[in-house]
Amino acid sequence: MTQQHGTVELVDDETVGYVARAVLIAALTAALAQVSIPLPGSLPPFSLQPFGAFFAGLLLGPLWGGFALLLYLLVGIAGVPVFSNGSAGLGYVLVGQGTGGFLIGFLVGAVVAGAIAHQRSTPRPLGELSVPVQVLALVATVAVVYAVGVPWMASVLGLSLADAATIMAPYVPLDLLKVLVAVGIIRGGYLTRQ
Amino acid sequence: MLSYVPGDTVAHQLDPRSKLSFQIGVAIAAFAQPSTAWLAGLYGLTAVVLLAGRLSPRRVVRGYGVVFVVLALAPVIAGTTLGPPWFRVDPAMTSLRAVARVPPVLAVSAVYVATTPIRETRAAIERLVPGRPGQLLAVGMSLVVRFFPLVVDDLRTVRTAMDARGGQRQAVIDRARRLAVQGLDRALARSDRLAVALRARCFAWNPTLPPLALSRLDYPVLVASVLLALSPLVQSAA
Repeated sequence: MTQQHGTVELVDDETVGYVARAVLIAALTAALAQVSIPLPGSLPPFSLQPFGAFFAGLLLGPLWGGFALLLYLLVGIAGVPVFSNGSAGLGYVLVGQGTGGFLIGFLVGAVVAGAIAHQRSTPRPLGELSVPVQVLALVATVAVVYAVGVPWMASVLGLSLADAATIMAPYVPLDLLKVLVAVGIIRGGYLTRQ
Repeated sequence: MLSYVPGDTVAHQLDPRSKLSFQIGVAIAAFAQPSTAWLAGLYGLTAVVLLAGRLSPRRVVRGYGVVFVVLALAPVIAGTTLGPPWFRVDPAMTSLRAVARVPPVLAVSAVYVATTPIRETRAAIERLVPGRPGQLLAVGMSLVVRFFPLVVDDLRTVRTAMDARGGQRQAVIDRARRLAVQGLDRALARSDRLAVALRARCFAWNPTLPPLALSRLDYPVLVASVLLALSPLVQSAA
């Protein structure tokens, strides 16, 4: 076995911090995808997965937030059961049950949220972000997720765009509610660590 | 749930890069608006792939259980109308034809998951994405795999604690907020510790790479991947 001899080129401390945070946000997104709170009646379950994309964008900015969601997708493609119902594989992302577009949407949405909230590639402290900017960033994330997800779903399942939109419509108010919860978490000082 | 199973089948011996490109090739070929004959050919190819990975179709269906249920429902939803005649055949058939393209893509992807250890996909990503982004993605993947069960455990602990305090009687918003706050707080605490640990262990840009090599078996698979990916062009020309 050959051995390398040379100087060790260390990763700078700032990058190490972002990588570590992105890794844990990716793991949290994966864990939240497995959790949902059942709602009464015929309402869809209250899934916590969008929080992963929200926090990735707001805490990490566009570059590292996108990196976190890309890690989440890659780990799923590699075969770790991180998608909802413990699914995995490239096939699930590309076609699956037609919901692969929402996974890609989370990735794009995290980048959009980070770009709107921080307006540069590295994140600013959360205290510097005003509430309207945070709400705008997260509503834009929800819009992007649906803009990518619904046409994708229509194309995979062979439905008309209107049918696909009707199927997904009940989820929209729930997702907007999640935006308010996420902003409440950040404004409520629950993340003083930041 | 599908996961890696050690073995020595043809699919196990292939390089992860050729297997990844093959999956993309099959997906492109499946979604090139195929005719019935084309689709039948794709199902035949899928059977060969399943054989090469010694994976039974039943395991694929079990592994993607809910997915197949949703796929089966799609034509019904497409055909249903909110007034007379209540069900129309044409949109249902369009949806059925669309949905029929999905199983081969899922099956090929299931063979990949069942025959490729995660460290090989990691190595493939490190080779495919050039430079430092590739390195960070590869390291990040390994770390996410390591932390995923821990974060799931964290959330379960929080949930158990909430339920023990009558959490099921609380409003959904309250429960969601608590779960998200506690989950995020624990994840961020873990990320701080991870960052310290990485710095302490001299996390470097130039570690030693695991060996990867294309064998003779890989070349036909790579050629097939390219041909499948190009197949829509041949179809549209014909």
